[in-house]
Amino acid sequence: MRIILLAAAVLLAITSCEKDKLPKTVDQRAYAIETIGKITTVKNLPADTIIGTNSIGQPVGAGRYSFFSLETGQWIPNADSNSTRWDLAFAGTTIRINNATSGPGAGGAFVFNGTFESLLSVPTDSVFRIDNHPVSYAITRGSGKAWYTYDGPTNLLTPIPGRTLVIRTVTGKFAKVEILNYYRGGQTPSATAPDSIKTRDQRFLHFRYTYQGNGTRQF
Amino acid sequence: MRICAVVLSILAATQVMAQSDTLLSMEEVVVTATRQERRLGNVTIPVNLIQRKQIQQAGSLRLRDILQEQPGIQLTSNFGTGIQMQGLNPEHTLILIDGQPLVGRTSGVLDVSRIALAGIKRIEVVKGPSSSLYGSEAMAGVINLITENPTQPLLEASLRYGVADPDQGWGIPFKRNSFQQTEADLQATYFIGKLKVRHSNNLLFADGVSFRPFSQDRIPRPIHRITHQTSIQQNLGNRAELKLLARYNQDRFQQEFSVRNNGVTIDSYGRELNSELNIQPTLFFRISEKIRLHTRGYLTSYSGDQKLRFVQKPDSSYLDRFEQRLFRIEEQVDIKKKNYTVTAGVGFQLEQANSTRYDALANQKQNNVSYVFAQWELNTGEKWISIWGARYDHHTLFAGALTPKWSLRYQAKPNLSFTASVGQGFKAPDFRQLYLNFTNTVAGGYSVFGTQDAIRVINELNRLGQIAELKPDFTKLTSLRPEHSTGINVSMQYNPTPTITSQLSVFRNDIQSLIDVRQVATRTDGSQLFSYLNVNRAFTQGLETSLQWQIHKNWSINSGYQLLLTGDKEEWEQILQGKEYVRESNGSSRVMNKKDYIGLPNRSKHQGQLKVKYEDREARYVFIRLLYRSRWTVANSNGNGVHDVQDEYANGFAQLHIAGGLPINNTISLQAGIDNLLNYQDIFYLPNLAGRTVFITVRAKFEPKQIKKINHH
Repeated sequence: MRIILLAAAVLLAITSCEKDKLPKTVDQRAYAIETIGKITTVKNLPADTIIGTNSIGQPVGAGRYSFFSLETGQWIPNADSNSTRWDLAFAGTTIRINNATSGPGAGGAFVFNGTFESLLSVPTDSVFRIDNHPVSYAITRGSGKAWYTYDGPTNLLTPIPGRTLVIRTVTGKFAKVEILNYYRGGQTPSATAPDSIKTRDQRFLHFRYTYQGNGTRQF
Repeated sequence: MRICAVVLSILAATQVMAQSDTLLSMEEVVVTATRQERRLGNVTIPVNLIQRKQIQQAGSLRLRDILQEQPGIQLTSNFGTGIQMQGLNPEHTLILIDGQPLVGRTSGVLDVSRIALAGIKRIEVVKGPSSSLYGSEAMAGVINLITENPTQPLLEASLRYGVADPDQGWGIPFKRNSFQQTEADLQATYFIGKLKVRHSNNLLFADGVSFRPFSQDRIPRPIHRITHQTSIQQNLGNRAELKLLARYNQDRFQQEFSVRNNGVTIDSYGRELNSELNIQPTLFFRISEKIRLHTRGYLTSYSGDQKLRFVQKPDSSYLDRFEQRLFRIEEQVDIKKKNYTVTAGVGFQLEQANSTRYDALANQKQNNVSYVFAQWELNTGEKWISIWGARYDHHTLFAGALTPKWSLRYQAKPNLSFTASVGQGFKAPDFRQLYLNFTNTVAGGYSVFGTQDAIRVINELNRLGQIAELKPDFTKLTSLRPEHSTGINVSMQYNPTPTITSQLSVFRNDIQSLIDVRQVATRTDGSQLFSYLNVNRAFTQGLETSLQWQIHKNWSINSGYQLLLTGDKEEWEQILQGKEYVRESNGSSRVMNKKDYIGLPNRSKHQGQLKVKYEDREARYVFIRLLYRSRWTVANSNGNGVHDVQDEYANGFAQLHIAGGLPINNTISLQAGIDNLLNYQDIFYLPNLAGRTVFITVRAKFEPKQIKKINHH
């Protein structure tokens, strides 16, 4: 009897596992945006995806930024690049804010060391940085500097956990952003995956943010 | 009456042990633990003994093969096959041949697959810091290869052929992808008057396997290896003996390979030639029954020569050469009194290196070491032994190092004993850490400078306006100090019955001022400049158990297990302060818990082996070994720079090896076996693990005296 019960339990476990494996109806590899409460999550935002290789064989994109408005939660057409309709522009690992050399707005940013949830308000003594394209950026480029690390041997780029981007938007409001993943589908490829997959699937940004529209510093 | 029974049972135990080779006989003599001959059953620190017979019955060719079957030793796969003892890096284990160090490490790794086991009588593995006797590098312990002595005239030859097929799983000879190994071994001992001579020659030809589609150079490479060893012994009267060991090893790798990178194919032709020479004269002199002198000389040289030619760009060939030489002279005195034994010594060592990776190949680098060591052993009654020792190494290039050690043995009962030891180990900075001057023009143009050059070179670049940024670590660049560790080992040996021996040990190593590579500056073109700093503090701890059981007169079991826990102390403090983060499955960050932390990368938490042997009086045997190693971290996949449960692992795995043998007659014996019967392969993280390999060995042994005796019958 016990054995039968056990067998039944095992069978049940197997069938429920099978259920989990069924393909989900949502395409995990397509651009998507979803808001739950105060937090909006953006998935698979292309950020100058790879189109080929340069003369020395390095993978390159077309040099095309993806512009995004934190206020409206919209991916803004490139025709509006020189407008105040966007807050952040993404291309590869570069994130630009709408101010100074990057745009006509009043944007700014700095990196907060701590979790997204733990940042409850923007401290009043915060220093927001601005872009000085192409020399420096408010959100510093480079491995281990602002929001990501790049590992040469595995050729993988990983957002650093516990780094929150504090953004002053184009209109001077505040938002906090956490980059979640750099690869299509939101899953970093295995270290042993071939370079072709690592190249093909990179530069698809996943991030979540909270935008405070009432002008206060509280999230 | 009871006492009598105990004595009888001890006698019985000794007899059983003497009969059985599968039980590590406690009567065996080892030398590494104290630098003088000592019964294995009477040492005060953990020692593993691997006998010639075990090496042969396992069908092991190289040091790597037999070490992977030992408890508490894990193999690593970067820069050749390295060994981790008690969780320390390969650069922290000293490898000796007859007590003198082997040189020729790449990035700190001495490739143990380089060392042929022909002509090796036994291997002694001492765990725990042993710098108090052996100086630099003996932080995790010491592996000492003891060569065969020319004891009696002998001629021995063996031929082994092995084949693996990575596609089929079973070796099919001469197929395109079969991986064939042929090893020929010839040993001869003869006497010329009082001069005793032993030659040992070993040849190995092995194919490479190309089954890695995505990247280059992680595959077993086709190798031709020659090892020659000669031992000469001569008694000089009753009191003195002269011994000379000469050993030469040459590895040649040659291969053509193609790399496809982003659609561009690069064909290359590579050749590597490594040569190693050891010459070791020893004079042993007995002044009296109680005082003995050992005078040892040692000369070793290693050279590694790599050439890589790109077929499409013949002018852009890559050349790399490394040479290292070590000369040493050493005097040791042993004084044996009733209640105490003293061993003391003094030595001088000169070490030189040249490399294309230093400023110029022609510029010879040199370090002189003078050292003195002493050890005092006190026998208090029959139950207690305590040994006090210390060594001081004076280096011309950096601060000296004093390494004390204390160990204790308590024989509680005839079948129960305890040992404890606490000691220090150190590793002097090596030439690479002092003099490297290397720019990788292929991978992003980064440069690494040894500390002797870093400040000067970077200041010069800065003056020329080529430095964009000096990192905070630049200001910390000073002369490197030796790495130091303190190790504690506590063991219990218990033999519940005459046929069972068991051991339980716990260990802890605290390592200070570990040398690590850090970025110290950035060039104006964005390329990074690195150098070496004494930065990290780490710990390793764990327990090791072993059990040997003679089940039946022909059957025995031998098993071992190691639990290993490690950590970086700085990382651990950050975690305790809540300053490290990991990600939830949905990608959002959270503060890292203590439970998430894995510690130092590339280490398995669990490792064990189970060996079963059948051996009868006619020397027929079957030897089955099951080896297991749990998963280990290989890449930091969540970007936090700390190794945690979310990182990428290599899978844990089991290997099963089976070998059997039988004598055909008094001269010829046969051995056949299958290595890696389960055919476990991991081309990324275990590139040196060949697939299922079927092998056969024919061995012929001629002992002139024995043959004569047989004829007389």
